[in-house]
Amino acid sequence: MDNLILQLKQQIIEALNLEDLTPADIDAEAPLFGEGLGLDSIDALELIVLLEREYGIRLSNPAEGKEIFRSVASIASYVADNRKK
Amino acid sequence: MKTIAHVRVTPEGAVLDGNHISDASITGLYREFAGDYPKFFKMDNLCRLGFVAAELLLKGTSAEDRADAAVVLFNRNGSLVTDRNYQKTISGGDFFPSPALFVYTLANIVTGEIAIRHKIYGETSFYVMPAYDPGQMDDIAEDLFLTSSPSFVLTGWVDYNDDNDYLADMKIMTR
Amino acid sequence: MESTLITCLADNILSPLGATSVDNFAAVSEGHSMLRRHEGVFGLPEPFCASLFDREMIRGLAQASVREFESYTFFETLCILSAMKALESCSVDPAADDVLFIFSTTKGNVDCLSSSLDDSRCYLADSALRVARYFGNAVTPLVVSNACVSGVCAQIAAVRSLLAGRCRHAVVIGCDVLSGFIVSGFQSFKALSPEPCRPYDRDRVGLNLGEAAATMVLSAADSMSDDKWYYVASSNHNDANHISGPSRTGEGAYRVLSDILKSLRRDEIAFVNAHGTATAYNDEMESIALHRAGLDDTPVNGLKGFYGHTLGAAGVAETILSMKAIDNGVVLPTKGYSEQGTTYALSISPDVRTASRRSFIKILSGFGGSNAGIAYRKGGDA
Repeated sequence: MDNLILQLKQQIIEALNLEDLTPADIDAEAPLFGEGLGLDSIDALELIVLLEREYGIRLSNPAEGKEIFRSVASIASYVADNRKK
Repeated sequence: MKTIAHVRVTPEGAVLDGNHISDASITGLYREFAGDYPKFFKMDNLCRLGFVAAELLLKGTSAEDRADAAVVLFNRNGSLVTDRNYQKTISGGDFFPSPALFVYTLANIVTGEIAIRHKIYGETSFYVMPAYDPGQMDDIAEDLFLTSSPSFVLTGWVDYNDDNDYLADMKIMTR
Repeated sequence: MESTLITCLADNILSPLGATSVDNFAAVSEGHSMLRRHEGVFGLPEPFCASLFDREMIRGLAQASVREFESYTFFETLCILSAMKALESCSVDPAADDVLFIFSTTKGNVDCLSSSLDDSRCYLADSALRVARYFGNAVTPLVVSNACVSGVCAQIAAVRSLLAGRCRHAVVIGCDVLSGFIVSGFQSFKALSPEPCRPYDRDRVGLNLGEAAATMVLSAADSMSDDKWYYVASSNHNDANHISGPSRTGEGAYRVLSDILKSLRRDEIAFVNAHGTATAYNDEMESIALHRAGLDDTPVNGLKGFYGHTLGAAGVAETILSMKAIDNGVVLPTKGYSEQGTTYALSISPDVRTASRRSFIKILSGFGGSNAGIAYRKGGDA
């Protein structure tokens, strides 16, 4: 799980252009949206693309994303359970 | 029409009101003169260019004036560089259209980014021209005052081809 | 300033619903829509619901009436066909040097990016030049590229050019064609409804895209006549909030309406023809802005249920349809609307209503935080 969390942090930093951040700067349990990293609605859509491209997971309903994208840890546990690749 | 401030940003750096103030690249200028706006790194290069030019130009303006200002920009390429990058996400074997790229396939987003950063609630407009034409750009900026009364107009050319070929030639004009 | 009176001399709408403004008005009045589910179109893996032109039909039209029609892209062909029809119905000589062509488009020929390696046809201003030159016009055309609000902004640009005396006539052409590029982008935004859209409705789930070309010939006028349309006011404001999400307070749209209401009394407005894309956020934002502007009781309609969102054409086509509606004493229906789905109740109806007033406001909002509006009045002051 730790490896997956690290990998996700790297992928998120790259996909969302979080320049100046390293994986160590992201707390896996901290909220990604609102406070936290200050991500917005376009970032959420881009995370949906990331899950599909890297892990073969398709979220058809963006509302599902809300719970999944709460933190890096919640994404990791969802990916671990649902990944197709 | 009076020009209050003028900036020119090219690969050679930035010239503000006739003074060469930096040799830095677009990102270098961001770090030198702004640095506090992580959303900068989410923007495409056209927006980054317009953003740093606006940072330099708007330094001497008040928040009150900015709220009622207009932003009217021009170029030749539109958003073609980002259009090509977005097209790559839907071509070939991989089909993963990127929303973060798609939103920048509209040239007027640069006017929106500047408005958001500086809380500008006035007019935002983008025109695409066959070629750089300062006379026509000035006419269009001046004509704004026929149907609206902005506190000032942030206007000019902003075009990006690649890291060795870009130009922001923007100014603040008042009536 | 040579004249302060601006009139609409001629118009055309070319859409999947018809090739003239009259045909389009009739189709909409009768409730027709060309929104259909399309599968495998543009090489897209996902189906989508949109209003698309019959390519062969347009080719046939072009073959019959456009010189050297094969040298123009689909986008340019539509612009030429629409402008040609509008210009046929007035005495304006498009080749004269006091005629300015103004284009409203979001993506023009962007489909050329996928069809060939040569992307030199993607430059919007070059496309505009080709169309203006087709009509023998030698003046450098303007191209407004303000995303979804372009169609109103192009009219505003025309008004200003006329007020400044820079031209005597402005040919405003709004057009966009769909492609894998545009449809996939809206799909990636999860913004599309799989079924025909439902503007302002409780059960709305997103927008549909559509194709159209529309033309207005705006001209300086010397005197007023009761059966002609005149420009009243216009406005453009940014939300300064987010590049893709509408403002939660409707700030930009509210400011647009407030500006226009300085020149137009609420009791002379027949209706507000709103954007009504049928996304959750747009329609909610508009209801807030209309409420803040005190327009809760003014009839509101949205035409996306007939055409989908035709991008750069929307502002021009919807303005023309609004003029035809008042010419015929009606408020056009909001197809797809059934039950209130916004915080503030608006006066919206899925049916045709009668209208005796002679002014309307057309508003648009879009990506980049842009909002724009324009008002017209038929005849003199009410």
